[in-house]
Amino acid sequence: MAAMAEDQHVLRKMFCEFDVLSCPDGSAMKYRNRSCLRPNKLIIDKACVEAVYRPKVGQPRVADKTKEKMIGNTCSSAILSTLYPRTSVSIILQEMQNSGGLMACAINAAYLALIRSGIAMKFLVAAVTCGITKDDKVILDPDLNKVKDCHTELMFAFDSIDFNIVAVDSSGQYTEEQYQKALSLCKEASNEIFDFYRNLVKKYACCI
Amino acid sequence: MALQYKTIHPVKYLRDFLAHNVRPDGRGLLKFRPMALNVRSISSADGSALVKIGNTSVICGIKAELATPKAEEPDRGFIVPNVELSPLSSSKFRPGPPSEEAQVASQFVFDVILNSGCIDTKCLCIVPDKLAWVLYCDLVCLNYDGSVLDACILALMAALNTVSLPEVEYDHEKSTTTVKTERVPLKILSMPVSTTHAIFDDEVLLADPTCEEEDLASGTITVVVSEGKLCSVWKPGGSPLTESQMDGCVDRAKNRVSSVLDLINTALKSSS
Repeated sequence: MAAMAEDQHVLRKMFCEFDVLSCPDGSAMKYRNRSCLRPNKLIIDKACVEAVYRPKVGQPRVADKTKEKMIGNTCSSAILSTLYPRTSVSIILQEMQNSGGLMACAINAAYLALIRSGIAMKFLVAAVTCGITKDDKVILDPDLNKVKDCHTELMFAFDSIDFNIVAVDSSGQYTEEQYQKALSLCKEASNEIFDFYRNLVKKYACCI
Repeated sequence: MALQYKTIHPVKYLRDFLAHNVRPDGRGLLKFRPMALNVRSISSADGSALVKIGNTSVICGIKAELATPKAEEPDRGFIVPNVELSPLSSSKFRPGPPSEEAQVASQFVFDVILNSGCIDTKCLCIVPDKLAWVLYCDLVCLNYDGSVLDACILALMAALNTVSLPEVEYDHEKSTTTVKTERVPLKILSMPVSTTHAIFDDEVLLADPTCEEEDLASGTITVVVSEGKLCSVWKPGGSPLTESQMDGCVDRAKNRVSSVLDLINTALKSSS
């Protein structure tokens, strides 16, 4: 039982592979994504950050536009956009497989690609999903089987400096206490993701 | 002189005001704009409402149509919200297909309906697998001056409260439908209320921002409260906020609920 309880507070194993795509400036296959710099839209005094989200099958729909906005805004808050005037940063995400926590995964993948592309950033962001079950338990990073027991799903994204909240997304209804509980749990778990980032950079960086 | 200053240095102009804890329109930083609500404004629609929050105005018309339910959910009807941000509302928008912002707003409204469970789509089903109601909720922004999501949710909820559906009889043998003249009001299970804050200069929170404030802001956060519970906390990126700032947003959203519900009830009472 103790193992069970602990299991609910552990993130699933994460994998990442960089440079799976040859053309863009930086790519990361966490579930594959890439980011590239190219002049497209033009803002004179800073960079224009845009995200393109492609679902696994079919054309992008209205719901995917919301995802694009979420990912694009979350990334643009960290990028030092004034360093890149008249530049457009396109973050192109392709969904490969969805086993729960898609939004959080997309944000993390976007950030890994941004790290790899070498764009200057103020801070990094780690996104964590958690679910609230029908018997009022908060479980971290639920997979598709566990999501079925959850009435609510919450996604938080934290910055790497003060662990402040960069982005929040939610579905379902929840009380303020449940929200607080989920927030503190996700905040703790975000550390693990920052460690994961750090290890990856250690592994892939050729000279430090 | 002030006008030129505002045009040349819009950020500094706003910052000068905020340094004195006041906003260009005379409000305090955490004060909301006055709201006005008119229900049953469109007589040809099955339900409608016109909302004004400051200068932002949104009109909502709801049209009910009969359709066949989806095969995977044969006992449910549909609600199709659509937010239109037309060029007449603001020079930001161009004619043509819905802009990205309009699509995001439509999806947000749809998510709020789903999360708050304000309407049980099972009530919209007349005969399982054969006949169900589709509620087309068209939200048209007439004047875009910030906090459009709040106005949309308020207009939608007020309009849904005025919806009444005619009784329908379905003949299984002949597969024909007869629409009767008696109308039954739609059952609304909860009343979500949305509240938007803008973040300026990474730390100042502005409640119920105007369009100018939203354009200069480094992020927005929208909290939807329904029956004392949170049904959406939506912060799509932007400047990071501390936990206490987030809690402040949630608290203000909760405190605002009663005044918004009072407004809806008063409008409904005065029109019936």
